[in-house]
Amino acid sequence: MTSKLLYKELRLAAHPNLFVFTFLGFLVIVPAYPYSMVFIFGCIAICATFMYGRETNDIYYTTLLPVKKRDVVKAKFLLVLAVQMVQILVSLPFAVLRVFVLPDGNPAGIEANVAFYGFGFIIYGLFNLVFMTQFFKTAHKAGKAFLLALIPAIPVVFAMEALVHFPQFAWLDSITGEEMLRQLPILIAGIVTYPIFTLIAYRISLRRFDMVDL
Amino acid sequence: MNLLSVEGLTKHYPRFTLENINFGLAQGRIMGLIGANGAGKSTTLKSILNLVRPDNGKVEIFGLDFMQNEDICKQNIGVVLGEIDFYKQKKIHAITDVTKRFYNEWDEAAYQKYLKAFSLDPQKRVVELSSGMKVKYMLALALSHNAKLLILDEPTSGLDPISRDDLLGLFHQLVQGGERSILFSTHIISDLEKCADDITYIKDGKLLKSAEKSVFIDSFQYLKEAGEDGLLSLEEIMIRSERKGSYDI
Repeated sequence: MTSKLLYKELRLAAHPNLFVFTFLGFLVIVPAYPYSMVFIFGCIAICATFMYGRETNDIYYTTLLPVKKRDVVKAKFLLVLAVQMVQILVSLPFAVLRVFVLPDGNPAGIEANVAFYGFGFIIYGLFNLVFMTQFFKTAHKAGKAFLLALIPAIPVVFAMEALVHFPQFAWLDSITGEEMLRQLPILIAGIVTYPIFTLIAYRISLRRFDMVDL
Repeated sequence: MNLLSVEGLTKHYPRFTLENINFGLAQGRIMGLIGANGAGKSTTLKSILNLVRPDNGKVEIFGLDFMQNEDICKQNIGVVLGEIDFYKQKKIHAITDVTKRFYNEWDEAAYQKYLKAFSLDPQKRVVELSSGMKVKYMLALALSHNAKLLILDEPTSGLDPISRDDLLGLFHQLVQGGERSILFSTHIISDLEKCADDITYIKDGKLLKSAEKSVFIDSFQYLKEAGEDGLLSLEEIMIRSERKGSYDI
């Protein structure tokens, strides 16, 4: 059932820009660029697809399929998880490559290092927690859910981009082995909070969507 | 055996209440669900299917509690809630390709047969279909997975008279084996006269009567006025039950 739901999401529900934005993980090879934008693009892509779903009556269609009403929520979470994980995976080889082709680093903001991915997971976890739970209150108000989700996500974006400009946080901007080891707690925090926030979001969304009248 | 039984179905909205709807649809029967615009026909069908969450009541399909066995029940139901109004820019074949994966008993030969019978071109986008063709496409999907129960919301509206007649003939064929049943809402009374075995009448969110057609007609003969001969038709029954006076503009 999981693969059928994901196939349905990718074939019918996904807006074409979801695929384009997912592959924007490669932006970490741009010489001077705020790499946090990669995650913002990921959030925008998901919001755009949910808006597109509203225009195409996607959720109504899914509910008519021989699935449980809760599978409608499952399908959307599968899509969001797939997009976020693929985007991070796409960016990884470029993050490695840039060490060799752009050894001078990124003057615009944080490097594509261990801390960067830790912050990324935290942004996506917070986004899922607010966006998905707000969306499934109504199953159509994607714009409002997006704006509310930016409230916790944007401070993390500003923090990761701004902190590296302060000398005492220079270690956050490093790509040396020793200092990336120092960044490891941020990555662990991201890897731990992302599934927890997403799971909480899933449970709340299930409960909320169950009450929605289509 | 009842393929569908609805007991005490209730749904409250701020300005409308669907109240205590009870009826049963036996195997091999066609039931017409009638009522004026806004009477609660679509809400009833949507509540049966858990698209609208009922506040109270129980729905059993094939003897199973629908809320507990939603996915199993839906495997054997064909649903058409009006014309297709999703994925307007997608081609028919793309929608079918996804839909058929979800059905254990998808019958590709039957689907192709209906496409041909309804003159549907799978390369067309939904937006390119006329209103009647959109209903026909939904019917083709609903009829292609060996559904035992068809739940259809105004399937004949938007169809030309020939297609409507053909469709009513198809309904008859589908229930002939005695296995399948059809529940369809309509306000085209002639459809009911042609093919319904049972009638369920909802007025202002309440069940007025649910019975076999001739019993139903007999039970409303009290609406006859002095001097009128013969039985009142279904149309007369509905008009006399609903009439609140003419528009005062």
